[in-house]
Amino acid sequence: MQTTPAGKTDKNFYRFFRSLMIFLLIVGLLDFGIGNCLRYFFFKQESGLLYRSTFAMEKTTASVLILGSSRANHHYTPEVFEKRLHLSFYNAGRDGNFLFYHYAVLKSVLKRYKPKIVILDFRNAEFLKDKNKYDRLSSLLPYYRTHPEIRAIVELKSHYEKLKLLSSIYPFNSLLFTIAVGNTEFNKKRKEDIKGYVPLNNIWNRPIQKDTINLYPTDSLEIKIFESFVKDCVNANVKLYVICSPYFIDFQNSDYSIKIGKAIADQNNVTFLDYSRDSLFKNNPTLFSDMSHLNNEGAIKFSNIIVDKITNDMQLSSIRR
Amino acid sequence: MLFDSFPFVFFFLTVTTIYFITPYNKRWLLLLFSSCYFYMVFVPIYILILGFTIVIDYFAGIYIERSTGARKRLFLIFSLIANIGVLSIFKYYNFLNENLEYLLHGFGLKNPIPYLSILLPIGLSFHTFQAMSYTIEIYRGNQAAEKHFGIYSLYVMFYPQLVAGPIERPQNLLYQFREKYKFDYDRISLGLKMMLWGLFKKLVIADRLAIYVNATYNHPEYQTGLTLIIATVFFAFQIYCDFSGYSDIAIGAAKVMGFKLMTNFNRPYFARSISEFWKRWHISLSTWFKDYLYISLGGNRVSVPRWYFNLFIVFLLSGLWHGANWTYIIWGAVNGFYLIFAIISRRYLKKINKVIGLERVPKMNQAFQILVTFILVCFAWIFFRANNLNDAFTVIKKIAAFKGPLYMENPSMLIYSSLGISFLILVELKKEYYKGHFSIFNSQYKSVRYLSFAMLIIAILVFGVFDGGQFIYFQF
Repeated sequence: MQTTPAGKTDKNFYRFFRSLMIFLLIVGLLDFGIGNCLRYFFFKQESGLLYRSTFAMEKTTASVLILGSSRANHHYTPEVFEKRLHLSFYNAGRDGNFLFYHYAVLKSVLKRYKPKIVILDFRNAEFLKDKNKYDRLSSLLPYYRTHPEIRAIVELKSHYEKLKLLSSIYPFNSLLFTIAVGNTEFNKKRKEDIKGYVPLNNIWNRPIQKDTINLYPTDSLEIKIFESFVKDCVNANVKLYVICSPYFIDFQNSDYSIKIGKAIADQNNVTFLDYSRDSLFKNNPTLFSDMSHLNNEGAIKFSNIIVDKITNDMQLSSIRR
Repeated sequence: MLFDSFPFVFFFLTVTTIYFITPYNKRWLLLLFSSCYFYMVFVPIYILILGFTIVIDYFAGIYIERSTGARKRLFLIFSLIANIGVLSIFKYYNFLNENLEYLLHGFGLKNPIPYLSILLPIGLSFHTFQAMSYTIEIYRGNQAAEKHFGIYSLYVMFYPQLVAGPIERPQNLLYQFREKYKFDYDRISLGLKMMLWGLFKKLVIADRLAIYVNATYNHPEYQTGLTLIIATVFFAFQIYCDFSGYSDIAIGAAKVMGFKLMTNFNRPYFARSISEFWKRWHISLSTWFKDYLYISLGGNRVSVPRWYFNLFIVFLLSGLWHGANWTYIIWGAVNGFYLIFAIISRRYLKKINKVIGLERVPKMNQAFQILVTFILVCFAWIFFRANNLNDAFTVIKKIAAFKGPLYMENPSMLIYSSLGISFLILVELKKEYYKGHFSIFNSQYKSVRYLSFAMLIIAILVFGVFDGGQFIYFQF
């Protein structure tokens, strides 16, 4: 008999410990098996959003590479770039992702090859501090194991990311259905992309809205990431264009992030183009699919304007050579 | 510190391990310190507010016990004023001021009273109610005053139920801090299983449904009737899984250490009437209002109009308890109205049932009653979830018009949500009607039990939402 629990050699404890070990072993085996199964089918996809990320990070060798969020994905059309620049093109823009993601894709790309031109689509209020941006790094989790160059970026997601990534399933969390559909023929027809570009075909039919941008807290880490993005391109001798594409919003004030972004670009002799208030687009709702996205007609028009700028660029001849 | 976070996992494992190697008579100290740490992770300074009410109620309890007659009553009133006062300042001051301003504005006057720039301390309504039940029970002679200040503090601060209940009664909890709980395999595994089930409900169901509910309820003016119906049903399951998930984790964590906390939810969506719903939903709060307010007002042993008034006021205050917003007050009022209407119409409903012959098919009758109750509860949830009354009425109007397609940004969102709800219904259906049958989680075969709980973890990893927000009831 013992009076305190401290020195107790209880059968209960060993029974519990043994059961716990067996249980954890079962969980570990299931996690390993299911996780690797998901990994296999994830990388086996040949179409869809997830496949486009894999293609951008692991396969593309395009000379012109577009990076950015959904606005990048829907605003730069390959037919204009390829036809007029005679350069291969891939649009690696991904819906709902931010600078951290774009920088990770750039790092993976630069590890494999050097594109001639990189266009980074820059958003209004790009540097706005928002926890959601870190949550969205989940897009990169499937690549954590095989892409050591992006690990530091993925680990920004949370303090416990390394620990969570001990699980083989976790990188594919909430992707089961998307992976399943991505492995079907049906997916290829569902939302066709043209070299990464996904055209939007509807027309926005609401009046333009005024937007007064107030001062907002900025994320210093995101500003640093942008700076690194610019510097990595400059160091790799990649011609970088940072472009803020059009909105169907009547902005009343200038945006603080655009000011910061332009200052960083200027410091590094990188072209920064701001079309967020461009009157050609602002006065033409038929070019938009919604307030923040151009439709296919708008994208063709906008892509032509950008290609004009590029061809007029003094350095174009040296890029071609 | 959220129950569904890694810091809590480390905290729980550390505290529980130390708990079992600490001598029995020192365990209260460990639990008190760990509870203080748990609370201070949110906003450290607010521990002072908690400390203030703890000191007041500790001494009030002793003086109430020692006194008699008017003096005894005076000490109780003093304690209640202190508790309600703190609650009023932090939770209701700005709300009342806002309404006063609105009223004065109607008369063309300016409100001279300034607003307070304060954050609501997390779980304030929960521990305030728990502290109040302590002094009331001493006053009623059902509980002896706790002389040990540390134990009393722990009664208010016990970390598993500190921020979102269950709201315990002193008779059920205080004595447990002196019990000598040994390391018991069955109890610990039961507690851990409860925690895992709670985590599943929170991460796989509640947080998944929250994505759709937030997307639609934050801009109801852009949504269609069908979308808002789906969103409202989703919210009904979201809030249930969020709050009962929290309760399961709280009760499970306490159980691992040996403590038995009261049941807070009993499959509420199987209720056949609104009154039954309230016997199954947030039981610790419903019984609190019943024991300390409804019965004090006379309960149903009064005239009929007074009885209706008692019911209505209890639900109105229950709504106000949830938050300083008219949406919560209306939600409470709607529930109060339901109950009164049910009492008034009981006789007529029976007659109608007889005429249409529903009584002859009891299973169908039961299913019909469950469905009607669920619809009524969902209607009331509209007020609870809407960001303001305008939004609530927009939702109701849109649902009534019932026009337009279903919002479905991503089909997988709806598929995961529906799968989660279906699984929950199956599990609860089994617990409600087929106890002892089709046991998977409690199978007699060890391998089936192990595999079923392992699959629960796998389901959390595959379908869980890891970037979801905090528990809804933390804000209360």
